Amino acid sequence: MHIPDNYLSPSTCAVMAAAMVPAWTVSAKKVKKEISRAKMPQLGIYAALSFLLMMFNVPLIGGTTGHAVGGTLIAILMGPWAACISVSVALLVQALLFGDGGILAFGANCFNMAFVLPFVGYYIYKFVKERFNSKGGETAAIILGSYFGLVVASLCAAVEFGVQPLLFTDAAGQALYCPYGLAVSIPAMVIPHLAVAGPVEVLFTLLIVTYVKKVSPEMIGPAPAKKTGAIWGLILGLICLTPLGLLATGTAWGEWSREEISGLAGYTPQGMSDGLDYSALLPDYSVSGLPEVAGYVVSAVLGVAILVIIFKLLGDRRNGSAAQAK
Amino acid sequence: MTDVPQWLAQPENYSPPTDSDRFIDKSILSFIGLISKIKQQSGRSRDLLWVSPGFKLLFTLLYVVLMSSSRHFTFVYLMLAYIVAVLAMLPAGDIRKSLKGAVIAAVFTYVILLPAALHGSRYSVTMIPAKVFACVLSVNILSCSTRWDHIISSLKRFFFPDLFIFVFDITIKYIVMLGEFALQMLYALKLRSVGKNRSKYGSIGGVGGMLFIKSRDMSEEMYYAMECRGFTGEYRAVGKFHFTVYDGAYILLNAGFVWLFVYFQNLV
Repeated sequence: MHIPDNYLSPSTCAVMAAAMVPAWTVSAKKVKKEISRAKMPQLGIYAALSFLLMMFNVPLIGGTTGHAVGGTLIAILMGPWAACISVSVALLVQALLFGDGGILAFGANCFNMAFVLPFVGYYIYKFVKERFNSKGGETAAIILGSYFGLVVASLCAAVEFGVQPLLFTDAAGQALYCPYGLAVSIPAMVIPHLAVAGPVEVLFTLLIVTYVKKVSPEMIGPAPAKKTGAIWGLILGLICLTPLGLLATGTAWGEWSREEISGLAGYTPQGMSDGLDYSALLPDYSVSGLPEVAGYVVSAVLGVAILVIIFKLLGDRRNGSAAQAK
Repeated sequence: MTDVPQWLAQPENYSPPTDSDRFIDKSILSFIGLISKIKQQSGRSRDLLWVSPGFKLLFTLLYVVLMSSSRHFTFVYLMLAYIVAVLAMLPAGDIRKSLKGAVIAAVFTYVILLPAALHGSRYSVTMIPAKVFACVLSVNILSCSTRWDHIISSLKRFFFPDLFIFVFDITIKYIVMLGEFALQMLYALKLRSVGKNRSKYGSIGGVGGMLFIKSRDMSEEMYYAMECRGFTGEYRAVGKFHFTVYDGAYILLNAGFVWLFVYFQNLV
């Protein structure tokens, strides 16, 4: 669901980024208020979990691939504002370091996966949980929340794609950016997420929430957890399993390269041929000179380490400024 | 009631000329920084990262050597990923300190190499700052995660002469003691600095000279004290060496890195 560069017009990107600015500001304020600095490294663990989940590509109908995001997972465990920040930082690391998701399209990607997904998922989860106050009710809440969170996010992405040929065409009538309209993009994105990616997200969310509740229940809630060893075991296990995400071949819908899109649509939209060309350090999670599997695992390790460091530093910087404020 | 002496009763209008004694303040601050850095070491009771200090030291030097001599970027990437992963295991304050030094060194290197980039040599501009970053980061990690006196006493395992270890140990202890002595002299100088000081270098030179004389006195006193306690000229360092399973795993991991280095060197 990562929208690459040059698929959305610069004005669309600007609008989406502007829409995210208040979301980021409020999330940062809420997180500062509700989450103690000692708990910030835990946000890093959750951001790392979300990052790893996004590396497991699953084949979708139509020959494309998709992935789970884990935004609702974080929202259930730490609240939707924390989920917004965690997923945004994970998306930032993916865009800058691995070229997964565009730089200009970062606002749109965050809107879909860091804002719509966790909030829709969380409020559905809360609604169902409060209606049916039982163990089965909570499981149903998790299932419905994570499923619809992902599906609604994919709908938003589809709308962002589909609106492009309506609004941005050149003189000949050809699209400047994404060439597929709403009639194509909505079924192409939403149906595979309804059918395959949604259940995958539900599975991951359910499994991980159950696991955290069983082995490390103090990770939920405001107090900082002392023993996070089990969660690190989960992260390590996921890192070792990431090469499974390479089995699903095929590019995700809307993430085609220039050659692929000229083959599919018959022409290369002008915005793509003349657009932003950002070369990331480890493009597509591969390390030149290493076999694909090794490169994928190294990228997973590096991504997780960077996310953990970022959140540890964030938790520490607030410590310093809080001491100064006194 | 005693009479006030006449010279005391006279009104005096002495306004000393202003002078900047920032040089004293800067010296004081740098001494305080140095002493606090050393004293922080004793605040840490346990070393981090589970591996014994001797192996940490040995393999950090190995990383620096391997990365500096590697000509294949992939190997440097791999080592960098490994070192960043190790950095993530440290507490936040140590992360910040380690990163600060490494980033400054890397940016400085990059700036110096920019003329080479403008002449078309893209290779060195990417490789060398990355290598500098990784090397400085790994040394900083060693420094943050291990107490310095543990590192020094682990030198015994590498058959360093006992005299070296003794000198290292005493050096660090006496940096603190002489530093505190110098601080007191600098405070005294600051208090007595009224008006314009025409010989600033002379003042600092005086502090330095007193420090030298004091250090000679201290070393003589220490020698007499050691003689009184039975020192006969031979210093034996005692080290506690435990080989744990973490050490074994670490050695295997580093053997893997050496193999990777050789593999990539043969590819180039």
